[in-house]
Amino acid sequence: MRTRGVMRTRGAGLHTLVGAYVMDAVSAADRASFERHLLTCEQCRSDVRGLREAAARLGAAASVPPRPELREQTVQAAERIRQLPPLVDREEGRQLAGHRRVASWQRLARPARLSARPWLARTAVSAAVVLALTATVFGLNMGSMQNRLSAAQQRDATIAAILGARDATTLTADVTTGGRATVVMSHRADALVFIGSHLTRLPASKAYELWLMGPAGASPAGMLPPDRNGMTGPMVVGRLTPGEHLAMTVEPESGARQPTSAPVVMVGLGD
Amino acid sequence: MRGGDPADGARRTGPGRRAGPESLELILAAVARGDHAAFRAVYDQVAPAVLGTARRVLRDPAQSEEVMQEVLLEVWRTAARFDPAAGSATAWIMTVAHRRAVDRVRSEQRAADRELRAATASIAYDDVSEAVEITLDQERVRRCLGGLTDLQRESVTLAYYGGYSYREVAQLLGVAVGTVKTRMRDGLIRLRDCLGVE
Repeated sequence: MRTRGVMRTRGAGLHTLVGAYVMDAVSAADRASFERHLLTCEQCRSDVRGLREAAARLGAAASVPPRPELREQTVQAAERIRQLPPLVDREEGRQLAGHRRVASWQRLARPARLSARPWLARTAVSAAVVLALTATVFGLNMGSMQNRLSAAQQRDATIAAILGARDATTLTADVTTGGRATVVMSHRADALVFIGSHLTRLPASKAYELWLMGPAGASPAGMLPPDRNGMTGPMVVGRLTPGEHLAMTVEPESGARQPTSAPVVMVGLGD
Repeated sequence: MRGGDPADGARRTGPGRRAGPESLELILAAVARGDHAAFRAVYDQVAPAVLGTARRVLRDPAQSEEVMQEVLLEVWRTAARFDPAAGSATAWIMTVAHRRAVDRVRSEQRAADRELRAATASIAYDDVSEAVEITLDQERVRRCLGGLTDLQRESVTLAYYGGYSYREVAQLLGVAVGTVKTRMRDGLIRLRDCLGVE
């Protein structure tokens, strides 16, 4: 792996936060710190599991029957919602490792919520974008980025699963056109979470598109939604092959099948 | 292609998996395959707990119903991503439910409302019995809550049922922030041990 997300734990102080964390009695910043701590603390993850079971009982003890009509309403609403496919297990990746997989990347998920806010055309993106160097990354910026991750969207179970994976690694990189990209990757979950922060806003006719790039070429990995409060995403991208890269380009708003401009950021997914 | 049969995963009993009449894990595996009947079964099993939790935190019935439906739809959408190794299905769903309710409080609650809630949250422990049907489980939770020290119990109930942050709880109880953190942890640990989960 080219880069490491080595985290320094802030001592025993974080350890005591486990109860408050499990009961969501923490600020976004605390949550981020604790989750960073979780990445390196096996005991804490185990504590979280057990205490969540206990907290769930507190919730169950407060049960109240919903109004009967809500049941079919909910089921009908579900019929209109596409389900996420499973994250393909790492073991399956191993099984397939013998035959070199053709890069058949697939976007697993797109955030369900689409902001209605129109994009603001602020800066035209230069066509002559210099190819970004492979990202390297650094504990230094992890704090603020993970705060953003937490504050914004961690309620999404998939994302939480990736962030909570034992081998989760955080990578951040500057985007050449402005802003930063953060990737939290788990080879175990065979997926990554992408978040852009303070990306340069694009004209309405353009959008950022993610790609997975390998020897076999680039495969689309999803269009980024408009940013909210300076944050773009999170996006979940699945089916990672070690040694390849996640890249982002500026494309027509409807997306492209192949990149039409140089990447504004590239992040190595390690090996 | 789809991954392995989620039911295989569900049969790998994770730590803390609740040995109950339900095998929510197995039902979830069917939900992940788009089975509406299974989704109804999940709804029947968890909707009351999800709604009750939201009601405790949010107080507002309409908002609570919204949260309940959002949570159930999230379960529908992400059922295939449920990881039995990370805990029981109930804990997974309730974690989503509680967080969503708290997020809503934090984003929407104005200062004035918060003060009003301060007055009502302290009765949270006492009105556990307000639930329509007192099950053995509920009785057990009640008993286990009764086994905590006062400060542990207040810290836990203000956080979980009141939706307060530990800093807010410290303020409400007039104790140091560090004290509240440890009471929340110790209280939950004691609760876990008393309930015999994990």
